[in-house]
Amino acid sequence: MNNTALRMQHSHAGPVCILSVGGRIDSGNAADLLDRLNGLLSSGEKTILLDLKEVLYLTSAAFRVLLVASDEAERNAARMVLCGLAGQVRELFEMGGLLEAFTVHGSREDALARL
Amino acid sequence: MPLPPTTHIVIRNNVADLAVLTAAMGRVGDEHGIPEKALFQLQVALDEIVSNVIKYAWPEGGAHDIEIRITPREEGIEIEIIDDGRMFDPREAPKRDKPLPGQRPQPGGVGVQMTKQLVDRVDYARIDNRNHTTLTKLCALGSAVSGRKKT
Repeated sequence: MNNTALRMQHSHAGPVCILSVGGRIDSGNAADLLDRLNGLLSSGEKTILLDLKEVLYLTSAAFRVLLVASDEAERNAARMVLCGLAGQVRELFEMGGLLEAFTVHGSREDALARL
Repeated sequence: MPLPPTTHIVIRNNVADLAVLTAAMGRVGDEHGIPEKALFQLQVALDEIVSNVIKYAWPEGGAHDIEIRITPREEGIEIEIIDDGRMFDPREAPKRDKPLPGQRPQPGGVGVQMTKQLVDRVDYARIDNRNHTTLTKLCALGSAVSGRKKT
């Protein structure tokens, strides 16, 4: 099950904080993702790029976290944008009606060129 | 030709068991030749329903079992989720409101909305104070169903 555990790693590209997420996001670990995002916001990050390219599996628990974190970003005069949505994961965003709720870029490079 | 029998899985009402359920579903998928996309969609739909049960079925708390029965049918896969929590018919879940322009949607109800799109049918019955929620996904099954012998 290790290859499907939730993995998170952050790095910086200039003023942009990139959080790469991989593996599986479900009700059992979504709180870990929220903690990580809140931690980045409270440490003063103003632009967070959430790269979901390596996510293999997610449920609506992930959407809840992204909605809550986006609100928190707004309260901190920060913003959170997404990239790397592909295949079945992207389809889940569409089914949940969540694609238009976030700023979504194609690849990480596309996103960084626009931020 | 007889179809392979039902697979029974029992988990506790603990979100840590959801990954176990996905893995078990993966094994059933391999065994019955469920196409990859249909399997992914069934895994997510099952996860959504069981997550809801874990979160809301027993407001009083305590340890409870949730039973999952996976049955290959001629036309696809049927998954029945059984719990003795309070009554909840997912078919009756209120439709989510469209967010006002410029506003972010509310997170509530996304899981049920997705489930209805991920499978072809959602059925529900309350039998002996238990919820029986049944998900049906139409798909062509692989060689296991057409007679491959189990070793």
